[in-house]
Amino acid sequence: MNRRDFLKLSTLAGLTGCSGRLPWQGPPVTVNMPGMAWGHLLRDRLPTPNPTRERSVEVAILGSGVAGLFAGWRLAQAGFTDFCILGGPEPGGNTAGSVLAGIPCPTGAHYLPLPSMESIHVREMLADFGVLRGDPHAARPVYDESVLVHAPDERLFMAGKWQEGLVPQHGLDDMAREQIRRFFAEVARLRTERGADGRRAFVIPLVQSSSDPAFTGLADETFAVWLGRNGFTAPPLCWYLDYCCRDDYGEGIEQVSAWAGLHYFASRDGHAANAEDGTVLTWPEGLQPVARHLRERIGAVRWLEGMALRVSEHRHGVEVCCFDAARDEAFTLHAKRVIVAMPLHVAAHVVANLADFGFDKTRDLPASASWLVSNFLLDGFPPEPDVRQPLAWDNVIYGSQGLGWVVATHQWIRQAKPAQTVFTAYHALANLPPAVARAWLAKASPAELLELAGRDLKAAYGSGFQRYVQRVEITVRGHAMATPAPGFLNRPGIAALRAADRKILFAHADLSGLSVFEEAAWWGEQAARHVLT
Amino acid sequence: MSSPSSTRRPDRLLILSVFIVASCGLAYELVAGALASYLLGDSVLQFSSIIGCYLFAMGVGSHLSKYIKDEDLLARFIDIELLVGLLGGVSATVLFVIFAWMAGPFRSVLYALVFALGVLVGMEIPLVMRILNARQAEFSELVSRVLTFDYLGALVVSLLFPIILAPHLGLARTAFLFGIANAGVALLTVRVFRSEIRHARSLALRSAIVLGLLLGGFALSERITQWSERGIFGDEIVHAETTPYQRLVVTQWHDDLRLYINGNLQFSSRDEHRYHEALVHPVLAALPGVKRVLVLGGGDGLAAREILRYPSVQEITLVDLDPAMTRLFSTSAPLTALNKGALKDPRVHVINADAGQWLETAGTAFDAIIIDLPDPNSYGLGKLYSEPFYRLVREHLSENGLVVIQSTSPYFAPHAYWCVVTTLEAAGFKTYPYHAYVPSFGEWGFVIGDRTGRYQPPTQYALPMRWLDATTTRDMFIFPADMQRVTVEPNRLNNQSLVRYFEEDWHRVIR
Repeated sequence: MNRRDFLKLSTLAGLTGCSGRLPWQGPPVTVNMPGMAWGHLLRDRLPTPNPTRERSVEVAILGSGVAGLFAGWRLAQAGFTDFCILGGPEPGGNTAGSVLAGIPCPTGAHYLPLPSMESIHVREMLADFGVLRGDPHAARPVYDESVLVHAPDERLFMAGKWQEGLVPQHGLDDMAREQIRRFFAEVARLRTERGADGRRAFVIPLVQSSSDPAFTGLADETFAVWLGRNGFTAPPLCWYLDYCCRDDYGEGIEQVSAWAGLHYFASRDGHAANAEDGTVLTWPEGLQPVARHLRERIGAVRWLEGMALRVSEHRHGVEVCCFDAARDEAFTLHAKRVIVAMPLHVAAHVVANLADFGFDKTRDLPASASWLVSNFLLDGFPPEPDVRQPLAWDNVIYGSQGLGWVVATHQWIRQAKPAQTVFTAYHALANLPPAVARAWLAKASPAELLELAGRDLKAAYGSGFQRYVQRVEITVRGHAMATPAPGFLNRPGIAALRAADRKILFAHADLSGLSVFEEAAWWGEQAARHVLT
Repeated sequence: MSSPSSTRRPDRLLILSVFIVASCGLAYELVAGALASYLLGDSVLQFSSIIGCYLFAMGVGSHLSKYIKDEDLLARFIDIELLVGLLGGVSATVLFVIFAWMAGPFRSVLYALVFALGVLVGMEIPLVMRILNARQAEFSELVSRVLTFDYLGALVVSLLFPIILAPHLGLARTAFLFGIANAGVALLTVRVFRSEIRHARSLALRSAIVLGLLLGGFALSERITQWSERGIFGDEIVHAETTPYQRLVVTQWHDDLRLYINGNLQFSSRDEHRYHEALVHPVLAALPGVKRVLVLGGGDGLAAREILRYPSVQEITLVDLDPAMTRLFSTSAPLTALNKGALKDPRVHVINADAGQWLETAGTAFDAIIIDLPDPNSYGLGKLYSEPFYRLVREHLSENGLVVIQSTSPYFAPHAYWCVVTTLEAAGFKTYPYHAYVPSFGEWGFVIGDRTGRYQPPTQYALPMRWLDATTTRDMFIFPADMQRVTVEPNRLNNQSLVRYFEEDWHRVIR
């Protein structure tokens, strides 16, 4: 070995040393990439077997994410029985969950805000679920307390200390304090602001928002530009808003449009009779129980395993070529109508005549962000540095690129901490071109994914955290959600798919351009209404 | 290499002593840092300030070493070893005792000890080097060997301390162990160099005494810890145990047995009959023919003792979190005398489980449910005083069943007390709040709940009571002017108002 080789080697050793973890010490890591293999099979148009069976049905729902499940639930609720729902490559979509050592935990979205008055469809579903008690139209309904997030709900690690809540408070200068106050005053004002058309400026579902250009114009610039223009420049405020955008949309203030950034704050005004405003509904396994409830109401007889490969419209109906990879067999569905409840980047490969609807792939398809959802199974709870700021449900590190972690056992009604728990760490690969992020995810080793997933936990607990980790399950969601980037409100192709009322209907959060439960459910609701009328 | 073989052994001993001395030096620093982090929190600050103070003191020690005359080198080295051993060995125990008995001087003593240890440890290496130098070792060889072993010793301890010593021996005994090592070096040095030291005999005696003291300290350190807790509890400790859930301490003073959990008094045998009669009989005496009773908490078996007095009771299910607690109260003679062996009674089924988890899965209904949990002083316990928890309790109560909850003091913690009542009402119970005077607790509160609204407090008791009678029972349900109901929010899991009320109320009482 010459001197130069030696230098190279030692630099390399120094780099790997930075991770603070020796390869043979790490916990066992499982990496799941739901839907990826099937999705890429579809993209690459790989040959599949010839269909061996057929089924005829009045309505076929293709996809079992929130939009598909919600459409099915609404049909079943209305007494409509002749339909089926195709599970798709990622059953449950972003509501999926897992179980580690008997502890249920999320592998997708983990909470639901208190639904606003306009999200009556979500309130009705929660009432059917028994989570909302009494009148779903009440301004302040009563919610099942075991599902309202338990105290302490959120904390932020800033300057070496934990503080209550996620808005930075400690060690701020007067300017930052003043800007934070002014920002929240501004969104409080926007919450009641109405446009020239008399509609509220920001509403969930977003189609009910005012179309006054005074507001929709905000969708043409990034949130960062809007913030700068309005004198919101203090780093603690900008970090907080960037965190919120990454948490909801998978991209930060530099990518997300100002309209979407403000919509996050100004549209959510749900109240509860038995909880403060801003409270959320959460289950130990994230939103999986909601999906399970919807699926139970739809009924097991209407559930079909498999994914749609090709949807083609005929004079008398729609033909869907399906493939069940588990059994390695293909089948054909004949339906009078179908509800395409899949992300648009998948629909673009599946729906043969998508262009006929006025949808132009290159123009209308939104970029999508990648996420890691990582479940750390722990033997015991790592010691907390400050007894006055105990472990909260959601724990976030100030300045981090990660999104912190939630505690899967937080909602358990227990006197003592359980012997084992699961911390679910979230990380959106924001601030990277989506294609670069996905390329990295596809070839990253489990150790590299673990390093990224565990950064926030290590920042809070130091390397001693490792001792508690028994097992890690990392879920990679390469196309987790559409990015509401500037221009996302005026895509003609999206407007065309929303309005489609032919044999093929569309239902997905991508029609809103933001991946939010209420939006996905809204499009499921609309598709079901088209079927029912 | 030309040195005569006779001087080799002593040289090797000195090098070995460098290794041990370096280990001990780092060990005391780690013990002090860890102890300060445990007791004061903020580990980064504690460790940095202690390491800083210690290193600075070592510099002072190195400087002072030049004042030691060449002819005294060996004797002073032994003295220093003994002093380091003694000071370092007792350091953790002394600091713990001081922390337990008086809060004030803890920090001053901590830094004084760290500084003194640092000065002494700082003198060790220069002295060893001078001793070796005087023995004609080559200087470059000497520096290299001494420092090699110095750093090696530090490495060994830095690995042993977090992995083996601190978790298995504890800080007090770890400190004693290294004290013993220091004293051992002193004793060995006296033996090997006895021909070169004046008064070797008296030095050997001193070393033996210090070694003996440290060995004694090592053996007794558990006792000393208990004794220092006596400073907190006041009475003789008859049992002390740290379980995965809590610290249990039983004290005795004459005929007064007391149980403390995490330092909070749970009962005194002098007046616990008042508490347990008030907890159990207003419910059970109102349920003729009561068969199945559930006790949540109550691992001391004292409520079970009262329940077992009813001949109609066929089965008591007692769910307590901590197996150590129910084991203690079913095996320790003075304690089983107190609960009359209730936990060993064939009618009592003891289940060690979290009450929340157990209720979620239990299928049966009970005629009476007695909730005798610790006060709601944490978010975990607060969950067992919440509306969803009481709804769960309600599902396990037979149609005409009664539940009673110990619910802290309506006098000292009125917001907390009425919060429990309000929460029980929010869960759909009709409530009957009452209070009893228990001398060691003061005015204490309970609340009975039923579904029907038909509960009437008993007007007489068929069983003989030590304290309860018709008049006291009637008075218990009357709240005089200074204990009137206050309007509070129910305890919601989503804000845990009870934990906040409880802290604020008691903060006002205890200054």
